[in-house]
Amino acid sequence: MTTLAPVKPPDQERAFVPRILVFSTNNISDPGIDLAGSSHMTYSPGVVVISMPCTSGIRPSWILHAIEGGFDGVFIASDGDECAYLSDCSTRASRIVAQAQALLQQGGHQPQRLKMAAICSVCAEPFTRHVQQFGQALAELGRSAVAS
Amino acid sequence: MTDYDVLVVGAGIGGMESALKLGDMGYRVLLVEKEASVGGKMILLSKVFPTLDCASCISTPKMAASIHHPNVTTLTYSEVGGITRGSAGRFQAKVTRKARFVNETTCTGCQLCETACTVAVPDQFNADMIQRRAAYIAFPQAVPKKAVIERAGSSPCSYTCPAGIQAHGYVSLIRSGEYEKAFQLVLDATPLVGTLGRACYAPCELECTRGSIEGPLPIRRLKRFIADIHYDKFDGPGIEIPEPNGHKVAIVGTGPAGLTAAWQLARKGYGVKMFEAAPKAGGFLRLAIPAYRLPSEIVEQDIANVTALGVEIATSAPVQDLDSLHEEGYEAVLLATGTPLSTKLGVPGDELDGVLSGVAFLRAVKLGEGIDLADQRVVVIGGGNVAMDTARTARRLGAREVTVVYRRTRSEMPAHHVEADDTEKEGVRFVFQAAPVAVLDDGRGATRGLRCSRMAPAKAGASGRSRPEPVPGSEFEIACEVIIGAIGMAPDTDGFSAQVRTNPNGTLAVDPETLQSGSAWLFAAGDVVSGASDITRATGQGQRAAHMIDRWIRGLQLDGFDLRLPVVDKDQVLARQKAYRLAVPLDPSEVLSAAPTDFREVELPMTEAEAHRGAGLCLDCGVCSECGECVDACPVDDCIDLRARDQVLDVEVGAVVVATGFKLFAADLKPEYGYGTFKNVISGTQMDRLLAPTRPFNTILRPGDGKVPERIAYVLCTGSRDETVGNPLCSRFCCMYSIKQNQLIMGALPIADVTVHYMDIRAPGKRYDEFYEQAKAMGANYVKGRVARITEKENGDLVLRYEDIEHGGGLVEAEYDLVVLAVGVQPNSDAQALFPEGDLAVDEFRYVAETDEDANPGQTSIPGVYVAGAASGAKDIADSILHAGSTVAQVAAYLEHAKVPA
Repeated sequence: MTTLAPVKPPDQERAFVPRILVFSTNNISDPGIDLAGSSHMTYSPGVVVISMPCTSGIRPSWILHAIEGGFDGVFIASDGDECAYLSDCSTRASRIVAQAQALLQQGGHQPQRLKMAAICSVCAEPFTRHVQQFGQALAELGRSAVAS
Repeated sequence: MTDYDVLVVGAGIGGMESALKLGDMGYRVLLVEKEASVGGKMILLSKVFPTLDCASCISTPKMAASIHHPNVTTLTYSEVGGITRGSAGRFQAKVTRKARFVNETTCTGCQLCETACTVAVPDQFNADMIQRRAAYIAFPQAVPKKAVIERAGSSPCSYTCPAGIQAHGYVSLIRSGEYEKAFQLVLDATPLVGTLGRACYAPCELECTRGSIEGPLPIRRLKRFIADIHYDKFDGPGIEIPEPNGHKVAIVGTGPAGLTAAWQLARKGYGVKMFEAAPKAGGFLRLAIPAYRLPSEIVEQDIANVTALGVEIATSAPVQDLDSLHEEGYEAVLLATGTPLSTKLGVPGDELDGVLSGVAFLRAVKLGEGIDLADQRVVVIGGGNVAMDTARTARRLGAREVTVVYRRTRSEMPAHHVEADDTEKEGVRFVFQAAPVAVLDDGRGATRGLRCSRMAPAKAGASGRSRPEPVPGSEFEIACEVIIGAIGMAPDTDGFSAQVRTNPNGTLAVDPETLQSGSAWLFAAGDVVSGASDITRATGQGQRAAHMIDRWIRGLQLDGFDLRLPVVDKDQVLARQKAYRLAVPLDPSEVLSAAPTDFREVELPMTEAEAHRGAGLCLDCGVCSECGECVDACPVDDCIDLRARDQVLDVEVGAVVVATGFKLFAADLKPEYGYGTFKNVISGTQMDRLLAPTRPFNTILRPGDGKVPERIAYVLCTGSRDETVGNPLCSRFCCMYSIKQNQLIMGALPIADVTVHYMDIRAPGKRYDEFYEQAKAMGANYVKGRVARITEKENGDLVLRYEDIEHGGGLVEAEYDLVVLAVGVQPNSDAQALFPEGDLAVDEFRYVAETDEDANPGQTSIPGVYVAGAASGAKDIADSILHAGSTVAQVAAYLEHAKVPA
């Protein structure tokens, strides 16, 4: 696996803005997230989105890698039951989340650093709400063990 | 030929449902959609009734599935035509994959092209309420999320430009404030930006669609504007010098054809040397066109573009021997020597002192040979642009009296009409329908006057144009000291006859496509080939010659020069928008004097504000302006290719499902409601867009002034149950979508009053009537009675007149901020066009006929062809899905039955 680009060391003077990696899906959650931007809704500048075809394609190790690479949290914007590929996408995704949380714990990270919610193709408002709440929760947790 | 079990035409909810279910059954399905995304009308809706579920959330999984399903092949931006029945009961169809100009495989959907695009057109996915770019992704939920560049054809200005300049492109770049990019776009065609910005006769402006409104855009002056800005900042072209490719080309002649060819070849890395017989380079640009139209510095700036790329220009270097030039190592030689010779007057006395040729006169003036015409009387003979240039130059050299003598009428003058008008404004006298008979000798070998004869038009000769005949006994004299003949120009090609054949008029006979002569290494371009023409034509030929020489040297076939799309239909352009505002045409800003005394430029430069206003008038006829911004912005190599063209696929299928859906009633067909005229009268579709999660303004507002409406009226049955528009049918879902919108509006704007003017509320079916009651309980007001007329107040508010049936039947007027017309359904005639043999029957309302509607829904008049969804008549979403389901069952039965041995 390739290493992540180095994340700039946080500026201690400024308020802590948690860095959140979002996994979205090409056809369902990504348009919803895109809509948040094109509707000029506000969400944290610390959010970075990677789009992929299907939530169930995420590997638990990627999440550990993200946290160890300097992200404070990972948010999976899943297809829920709307996946175009797999009718059991949600079941698979929840298994991946459980495995990833176990990996995080083994690595000495709080499992709360991973969150998943279903985001639909026009769920711009729910998305911004989710990342805002997640950001607050992460701020309370503090910087991830690696970054601080 | 590609084989499928079923062809489904149209990827709205009915088509997608049919394709997915047939795919699930194991049939191989080809789903074809004409728009850039699947999803049809449903994906654009706000919510669905009566559940108020999000339409997008229901559609997107089906949309995504339709392009990922292993048994379904989906082609978007494609159109089906010509479905015919072939052998063994199967069908042949042609599918046109319209050029997207974007590689569907490598496009990442990043939208950088959309951001860079300089053209905005009405957004059909937002019911024309806002604009989208020519390079666009249909909407945020589009599947596939791939960009399309819409090109309706070539814009008339760009198409008509003989010099091959993307006129529309540089206009749209100027509109975006990208002046240097606009300059570079012109440089792609020719180095003569400043020159053409002044001296071109602008055939583009004659073709401008805006010309039929209040007048064409000032396309030429916009080019001058960008040239002036560029030359203020740079001395040369402002591009990198290309790597030499090791090949050498010689060009004879440095007029517009030669300079353009040299520029094009040098940009490709050729070592180019130019040979000019005159002491200055530039041909007629430098030696004929007077400085008040085209200052010499401008020509020199343009020539500096060419020399900046390393092109050598030898002046006072006439070429005598083409063969030895070729032997010196120039792999190709281009002749672009123009038409330097003048036609003699051919009347007695034309050898006297004081008789000159126009070309020689203009050249002497431009070379500063100190000609003084103070107090002289000058007669200019001829009606072309050279005659006008000559007459105006003579005025500036102090001539007391200048007379133009022309043998035909004013309207027949070949000179550009603006030139002729300006000539007259500068105090030049015209004598029409007169021709010289003899130059009069003052007895000392000089001129004392010109004897002329009146001319009468004669019958059209073989050339099609009438040849004037002298009127007997009509001779008269004009006293003058100087006579300048400007009656024609000819090439000087005697020296080249060994290598290239000449025509009787002295022009060179080369292949008109390739410009190649009988000697393969020798090409010719410009006026030496075409006879005297104009700068743009010569420029275009220079470009063509460079293209062909490059291909010849590289050993390629001599073709591929003209890549224009067919020109767009102007009526189609004007139909794109509902109304155009008349704009005040820009002032031409010419400073003309009745007695000009110097060679200062007569035309003033444009201000930046004028340039913006001028460019802003563009109607974007071809949609894409070919400005090339998207190509530069795209992060993927070779993803955008404006040379792409439509492709036609031949397919063979076992059955066809027609799912072409419906059209919405065009509400402007009921003029009493003012749709299209009153800005605050909108359609139900537009209201649905205002309410949708992907809505254009992120709130509900009225389009006229952006005010948030407080009093909103609905007019139901607009275009439905209405014999006056030829539609007696109920559209079945307008009541329900209006009720849905009522509830959503009351949710979004709690203080808004919603009133619905209805004939009957049709809310049959499970939870539909309850939905209606719910809207009433929320506070929507339902008023029975058809609206007769809507009028608009000055502040944009609207007055509805209706008969209040429930309260005594009196005429009532009510005022609203916003009126929503609940438009109904119209049949989509696209369905019939699919079958060129005309055998797809339609019912009396022109919907696709279901021949056995009660027993076998979905079956059409053609065995093996089925209809799904609203193509067979108005259906809401739930009914469309149901209907598609029954059609799928029919198709499956048909396909299975066909397998049973007879």
